[in-house]
Amino acid sequence: MSGAFAKPHIRARIAGAALAIMAATGAGTASAEETIKIGSILSVTGPAAFLGEDMKAGMEIAVEEINAAGGINGRKVDWVFYDAESQTQKAMSATRRLLTQDRVDMIVGGGSMSGIALAMAPMAEQAKVPFISTEGAMNIVQPVSERKWAFKSTVDDDSVLDRIADYLAKKDIKKVALLADSSGFGQSATEQMKLLAPKRQLDVTYEAFNPADTDMTAQLTRIRDSGAQAIICWTVTPAGVVFLKQAQQLGLGDRTLIHSYGFVSQRYMELAGDAAKNLLLVSVKFPVGDQLPDSDPLKPRVQELIQKFQKRYGRPPNQYVAQTYDAIQLARLAVEKGGKDKAKLRDALEAIAGYNGTGGTFTFTPARHSGLSKDDIVMLDWKNGRFNLADYR
Amino acid sequence: MDNASTVLQLLFSGIGTGSIYALVAVGFNVIFKSTDAINFSQGEWVMMGGMVAAATVTASSSPVWLACLFAVLVVTAVGLVSERLVILPIAKPTPLLITLISIGLAICTKSAVMLTLGKNPAGYPGFAGDALVTVAGATVHSQTLWILVITAAFMVLAHLFFEKTVLGKALRAAAADRDAAALVGIKARSTVMWSFAIAAMAGAIAGTIITPLTLTSYDAGTMLGFKGFSAAMLGGLGNLYGSLLGGLLLGVLEAFASGYISSHFKDAIAFVVLLLILFWRPVGLIGKPVVEKV
Repeated sequence: MSGAFAKPHIRARIAGAALAIMAATGAGTASAEETIKIGSILSVTGPAAFLGEDMKAGMEIAVEEINAAGGINGRKVDWVFYDAESQTQKAMSATRRLLTQDRVDMIVGGGSMSGIALAMAPMAEQAKVPFISTEGAMNIVQPVSERKWAFKSTVDDDSVLDRIADYLAKKDIKKVALLADSSGFGQSATEQMKLLAPKRQLDVTYEAFNPADTDMTAQLTRIRDSGAQAIICWTVTPAGVVFLKQAQQLGLGDRTLIHSYGFVSQRYMELAGDAAKNLLLVSVKFPVGDQLPDSDPLKPRVQELIQKFQKRYGRPPNQYVAQTYDAIQLARLAVEKGGKDKAKLRDALEAIAGYNGTGGTFTFTPARHSGLSKDDIVMLDWKNGRFNLADYR
Repeated sequence: MDNASTVLQLLFSGIGTGSIYALVAVGFNVIFKSTDAINFSQGEWVMMGGMVAAATVTASSSPVWLACLFAVLVVTAVGLVSERLVILPIAKPTPLLITLISIGLAICTKSAVMLTLGKNPAGYPGFAGDALVTVAGATVHSQTLWILVITAAFMVLAHLFFEKTVLGKALRAAAADRDAAALVGIKARSTVMWSFAIAAMAGAIAGTIITPLTLTSYDAGTMLGFKGFSAAMLGGLGNLYGSLLGGLLLGVLEAFASGYISSHFKDAIAFVVLLLILFWRPVGLIGKPVVEKV
């Protein structure tokens, strides 16, 4: 008897639960249609934390700006953020989460480290979700045939090295040393330099160090003996300060010392002190936005971001902020044209041409998924406590 | 690359780094002697020394040596308090338990520094500014000489402390035989506290004197800890003079490995040599085998 009573009761409960679930999912799809879901992964802790915090701030300010203006074609941005903790494994599980649980429309930001972005790109590729990387290495978006869904908002190492070669040609320097760290960032530069050197008639000595190294006496002694007139250092770690100090120590201070765009940091310059006085840095235009000629289309965009950022965070932004701010803006451009359809979003990204961001002028083509070019790169120096434009074009 | 000045240049950089490894190794040894445990927060104390000194220099613009002294005091106090907070409450402090707890302590120390002093790399000028000194054709940073002098002074003082003072002798007695020491009135638990304080002090000194050369950041401690541990193993765990020998040997090996082979293999070569020496002499270069009488 009790069984007969129980049955309809349970059935009713199940039906009720099913209804509740339907209602919940119904509501879910309704709200998902109104918003555009962007997933981001950066490293705000771990060794890359010093980049990640600024990169995250750049995204925050872009998302807030878009939502304050009423969203993209009426769709608000629903921004999902995960910390990769500078670990590829963590970033990969976060990516899986973004793809399967959060079901984002697009991923912007590849963990603040090239190595992480390299691991994320194939996952986005497989899931056919557009991925805008804010990291440096070229092979995040190359070869394009295997990276149909990956784009990046940063400069390519080959353009940067080509730009350095232009400068060296101006100064009539032929013998060069490249001192790169053994991370993905440094290795990529070494590979590209090996391709570029014969084309630009450069005689290059290659040296390497570990990102955590605290002593470069051995490498610098060999470079000194090689007679290189210019030394290019490629790292984002504090080891770059050790390089500057020890270069002075070993009497290399009178040669042309060049740091990569990964080292354009006020903090590092202050730590290097006097050792940075005749250093050159290759960089995007952002750090010297106010010194650009008025004819440069980037100038107003850069100044606008600097003001907004200063107001929101109470400190001046750096180029990493620009890198991620631009990436979100690129996503916005894509959504304006492509809506929520992932394939259309991808096509819209690929069709972006001549967009003036804060880090440079972006043009994507089906053959090239890196938006920036050699014209977006300048040479800086560090004098009077700030970065200055040393060589415009 | 073959000339004498290059060899000397590498030797100086090796001895400089090696001195730091030696100081870190002293920390490992002191705690190992008193607890039989490996203290994995040793490296974090090194990092903390550098970070606190850097923050002090920035905040108060006091002279570097004063900031370093202050940092050493702070970290020594942290070592002492850490022991009182997490080791003392344990009813039965077995070596394994202390080792495990020290890993937790390391993570907490690192996080605390990250949250209070930030994630940016930090540094300050050397005791004599950034002056350079030329020694027989090799140019060295004046701070390298300071490192050598301070390490030597610390080693001599540590020797005198353990050989001549009552507290030092008590620590050695407790390390040699806890029960017998307890019988003559030495409190084993307070010797553990002092060993933590001394270890933290050794770490902090290493951290404050190396930071002008290498900079530091909240995550720099782990690697220094491993290197110091290797140096302690190399010399013979629990042996003060072994620390010095192991540290210097490891530092010089690394410098020459990166100078003549490749800096990619620098760490690998140092660790391979460590393994080989331990195969040949499991107790380390000047460690004595412990004979357990049953």
